[in-house]
Amino acid sequence: MVRFLAERSFGMIVTLFMVSVMVFFIMELPPGDFAERYAFRKFSGTGVTITPADIAAIRAELGLDQPAVVRYFDWISGIVLRGDFGQAYAFDTSVNNVIGQKVWLTLGLLFATLIITYLISVPIGIYAAVRRGGAADYGLTLFSYLGLALPNFLLALVLLYFANLWFGASVGGLFSAEYAEAPWSAAKLWDLMKHMWLPALVLGWSAMAYQIQTVRATMSDEIGKLNVTAARARGVPETRLLLKYPARLALNPVVSTIGFDVNRIFSELPIVAAVLGLTELGDLLLKSFLDLDMNVAGAILLMLTVVIVVMNFVSDLLLAWLDPRIRLGG
Amino acid sequence: MGRLLEVENLTVSFRTDEGLITPVQGVSFGVDAGRTLGIVGESGSGKSVSTKAVMRLLPVSARIGDQSCIAFTDRDGARIDVHALRPGARALRRLRGGEIGMIFQEPMASFSPVYTIGNQIMETIRLHKGLRGAAARDLAVEMLTKVGISNPAARVDQYPHELSGGMRQRAMIALALSAGPRLLIADEPTTALDVTIQAQVLDLMAGLQRDLGMAMIFITHDLGVIAQVADEVAVMYLGTIVEQGPVRQLLKTPAHPYTQGLIAAIPRLDRIDNRLTPVPGEIPSPSARPSGCPFRSRCAQAILGVCDRTPPPLTRLGGGQSVRCHLHDRARAVA
Repeated sequence: MVRFLAERSFGMIVTLFMVSVMVFFIMELPPGDFAERYAFRKFSGTGVTITPADIAAIRAELGLDQPAVVRYFDWISGIVLRGDFGQAYAFDTSVNNVIGQKVWLTLGLLFATLIITYLISVPIGIYAAVRRGGAADYGLTLFSYLGLALPNFLLALVLLYFANLWFGASVGGLFSAEYAEAPWSAAKLWDLMKHMWLPALVLGWSAMAYQIQTVRATMSDEIGKLNVTAARARGVPETRLLLKYPARLALNPVVSTIGFDVNRIFSELPIVAAVLGLTELGDLLLKSFLDLDMNVAGAILLMLTVVIVVMNFVSDLLLAWLDPRIRLGG
Repeated sequence: MGRLLEVENLTVSFRTDEGLITPVQGVSFGVDAGRTLGIVGESGSGKSVSTKAVMRLLPVSARIGDQSCIAFTDRDGARIDVHALRPGARALRRLRGGEIGMIFQEPMASFSPVYTIGNQIMETIRLHKGLRGAAARDLAVEMLTKVGISNPAARVDQYPHELSGGMRQRAMIALALSAGPRLLIADEPTTALDVTIQAQVLDLMAGLQRDLGMAMIFITHDLGVIAQVADEVAVMYLGTIVEQGPVRQLLKTPAHPYTQGLIAAIPRLDRIDNRLTPVPGEIPSPSARPSGCPFRSRCAQAILGVCDRTPPPLTRLGGGQSVRCHLHDRARAVA
């Protein structure tokens, strides 16, 4: 077990390093020079004449004249050692200030989505497999096909309409007006949760539909296995039997695809967020690319990819816990 | 007090996409306390289905005939009508594992791969013996010792994939016996094992049966194995018992052409130059059962106009042997 942990941790660190290099490479990719744009923005309309020497000075000031390797290590050591993502040039403040709270809200939304996805899809998948061929099974299967077929933003619009109609709730945004600028409190958290379930449901929609199918298929396979019959033959009560033996194994494919689900949710985040009027990272990412504000874009990209890598690691650990054959290398 | 287990006129049908099939038709057998019944037959003859019915382990698509009766006498002397028990009834759960233990052909597949063998043995002990914690564990280790597993205190915490095939079957036997059942149903327990391991496991089972004084139903397709373990034997063909009787008598004077064929098909070392004589043909599918006698399509002695018309009645031959075959029926009619 210790060896397994060490191996997986090492693998994760190597992956994180490679991911950070790739993110930095992407930050370097866009054509154009930020120093020129910066000078233009700062001095246009002021009558000041910009010479190439001025631009070179700005470049030197921002450290853009250093070789890429040096800048990579400056950048990454700032992040790792001081949690400092550098300067957001376009906003004339630090990246941490620009992204700040949005990171936590995005992560909160991500985890809320994951939790809702699994809380809904796993029990439904298991139930459908146990009642295979019944009316409930067909109904749920139909529902999940609908989930797979329907684009999320369309669902977001539909839900937005009905949520407004039925709950009269203002579903746009993550906070009610009175809490938007208020300091954190229990009431504000509750307000956030009230606003979060709908976007979480929308974001998790396709993952949910997919996982219902996966759980149902694995569970159906497992239920028919001899070890389940054998457990029944030693008098294990049916519900306990189903949960202890086949259901535990039916979780395997779900757990091993947590990373994919995170990825899927992140990809769908910008458009769903736009429809639901959430101010979150996706929007900021696009804007920072347009502004060639690569420190902001890089910080967002890096955090999204780190979350995916870390969630993959977590899914590895969970898988090892669920299935001893994996941790024992059998 | 009657027999420990008495199965009367058992019929099992399945609803399938191709319609109703009936893999077991009017089967009656029983076993007395402490004795061993061997059930022999090819795959598809209905031997596993019959014993699964006794444990109520058939899938929901299975229907047991109205005339069927499965009666088990429990350790308090009460007669349980197994067929009438509600699914999930307490009495049924007590029966499974507590009164009747069961072991299966595939020792690997009968353990869940994600729990230690100790976990699964202790589950039985907790359910039926009411022991918990260290006491349950001690009994599990004791059972593993009893089935000849070396270093049982360490094995108890191992996962099924860490044990060899023979070892797993021994552990399965330990599991099935850990609640002290009065009947052990062994469904081809040695078929998936190497021949040398097979002999060891058979030996072990015979020894344990003697020590624990339990009854056993031993299912196999191998008459040679039956000769070693059983007191009585029932030969099944296409869902019916074609011949039944004490094992020595039946092997010495088989009355049914199918039994004769099975005995002729046993490889013998003392006649190594002889070629094996298989039973010709293949067992028909239960959905295409021949009219009259089910065996007539493979029987060299089938009587035209008799065997294809009426199913043969049960004929008692004396000494506890009985057969379903027109040859013997006719002989009696002539005499």
